Amino acid sequence: MSSWFRVTAAVATKDIVIEVRSKTAILSALVFAALVLVIFNFARDASLVSASVLAPSVLWITFAFAGMIALNRGFNLEKENGALEGLLLAPVPRSAIFAGKLLSNLAFVGMVEAVALPLFVLFFNVSVWRILPGLLGLIVLATVGFVAVGTVFSAMTVRTRFSELMLPMLLLPFMVPPLIGAVQTTTRLFDGRPLSEMIGWLRILALYDLVFVTLCVLIFPAVVDE
Amino acid sequence: MNASLNGSRTTIRWGLALTILGLAALVTIYVMALAYTPLEVRQGAAQKIFYIHVPAAWSAMVAFTLVGVVSILYLWLRDERLDAFAASSAEVGLVFSVVILTTGPIWGKPVWGTWWTWDARLTLTLILFLLFLGYMTLRSAVHDPAERARFSAVVGIMGMVLVPFIHMSVYLFRTLHPKPIVLKPSTPSLPPDMLRTLLAGFAASTVLYLGFVTVRYGLARYELARRQEAD
Amino acid sequence: MPDNASYMVAAYVVAAVVYLAYTVRLFHRAIAALRDSSR
Repeated sequence: MSSWFRVTAAVATKDIVIEVRSKTAILSALVFAALVLVIFNFARDASLVSASVLAPSVLWITFAFAGMIALNRGFNLEKENGALEGLLLAPVPRSAIFAGKLLSNLAFVGMVEAVALPLFVLFFNVSVWRILPGLLGLIVLATVGFVAVGTVFSAMTVRTRFSELMLPMLLLPFMVPPLIGAVQTTTRLFDGRPLSEMIGWLRILALYDLVFVTLCVLIFPAVVDE
Repeated sequence: MNASLNGSRTTIRWGLALTILGLAALVTIYVMALAYTPLEVRQGAAQKIFYIHVPAAWSAMVAFTLVGVVSILYLWLRDERLDAFAASSAEVGLVFSVVILTTGPIWGKPVWGTWWTWDARLTLTLILFLLFLGYMTLRSAVHDPAERARFSAVVGIMGMVLVPFIHMSVYLFRTLHPKPIVLKPSTPSLPPDMLRTLLAGFAASTVLYLGFVTVRYGLARYELARRQEAD
Repeated sequence: MPDNASYMVAAYVVAAVVYLAYTVRLFHRAIAALRDSSR
C-alpha cells in the first residue's frame, strides 16, 4: 500500500519540479489570464454592463481556458521525455500513475488559478476577503472534477496530431456542469447570499467530482495500456 | 477471411432494406401528421414539427445510449466489431441530432418567440452533438485501430456518464431562470389522434435508426474484412 | 412576419433533406462495397 503512495508522490513531484523549473505553463497562463481580463474590460460598455455582473463568468472562463493550457502542458512533458512509456513498462499500479498525474495537473491548474485570481481582483475591483474561504473551497471543488477528466483526455490527445485543439474539443462538454455550478455559486458568493441558495449547486459539484474521479481512476488503464 | 467479407455484404443489404422501409415509414408519418392529425389550437401549424422533432430525439437517445453501452462491452471483451458498432451508432446519432437541432429552433421561433431558449433537452442535445463530433474527430486523428477503439470507448463511456449531470445542471438553472414563455408547448395529455401520430413517429424513427445503423455497421465490417485480407 | 405554417413547412423540409442526404451518402458507399464483389 505504501508503495502506491510512493509511486503517486514520485509521479506528482517529478512533474511539478520540472514545471517549477521551466515555468512555461505558469507564464503562458499568466499572460493568457491578463489578456482575457483586459479584453473583457474593453469588450463591454461600462455604462450599460457593470463589472460585477460579468465578474463571475469572466473569472471562470479565465480559469477554464488557462486550466486547459496547463493540462496540455502536463502531458506534453511526457511526450518530450518519453518518461511515461518507461513508467508504464514497469508493473506499477495504473491508479497510482493516474493519481500522481492528477495531483500534478491539479498543482498546475491551481498555480494558474492562484495567479489569475489576484489579477481578477485587481482588474474587477471586487472585494473577496470576506468570502475568501468559501471562494477557495469552491475553486477546489469545481476544479477537481474537470482536471480528472482532463487528465484522462490529455493522456489520449497528446499523441494525436492536433492535440492543442483536440483536448479542448473533448473536454469542454465535460466542463459544462462544473462551470455552471461554479458561476452560479460565485455569483451568490459575491452577492452575499445565504448558503441555502448555493447548496443545490454545491451538491452537484461534489457529486460530479466523486463520480468522475472514480470513473477516471477506473478508466485510465484503458488509455495507457494495450 | 472471405466469410466475413460476405457477412458484411449481407449486413449491408439488410440495412439498405431496413432503411428503405424506414424512409417509407417516414413518408407515412409526414402524411399522417400533415393531413390526418388535428391542428393544435394555441400553437397552430408549427406544433406539427413536434411529430418530427420528438421521434428524432428518441432515436438520438437510443443511438447515444447504445454507444455508451457498447463501449463498456468493448473495453471488457475487446472485440473490434463492438467498436465498429459504437462508431456507427455515434454517426447515426449525429444525424438525428442535426434534425433535432434544426427543427427545434424552427419550432421555437414562432412558439416561444426566440430561436434558442437554453431549455434542458435542446441544450443537452447540443452538448451531446458537440461531444460526439469530438468523438468522430478523435477517431480520425488516431491511426492505430486498437488504440482508436480504446480511446473511442473511453469517450463514449464518459459521455454517457456526463448526461445526467448536464440534465441536473440545466434543470437547476432553469428552475431558477424560467424562460420567457409566449405559448406553452402542450405535452401532458395528448388527444388520441395526436398520440397516435406521435407513437407512429417513434416507430418510424426506430426503423430508420435501425436501417441507418445496420448499413453503417455493415460498411464498417466491410472495411475490417478488407483490412484483414490485406494483412 | 411569415405565418406559422411556413415554419412547419421549413422544418419538415429540413428534416427530410437531412435524412435523405445521409441516405444518399450511405447508399453510395454501400453500392460501392457491394459492387466490389469480384472476390
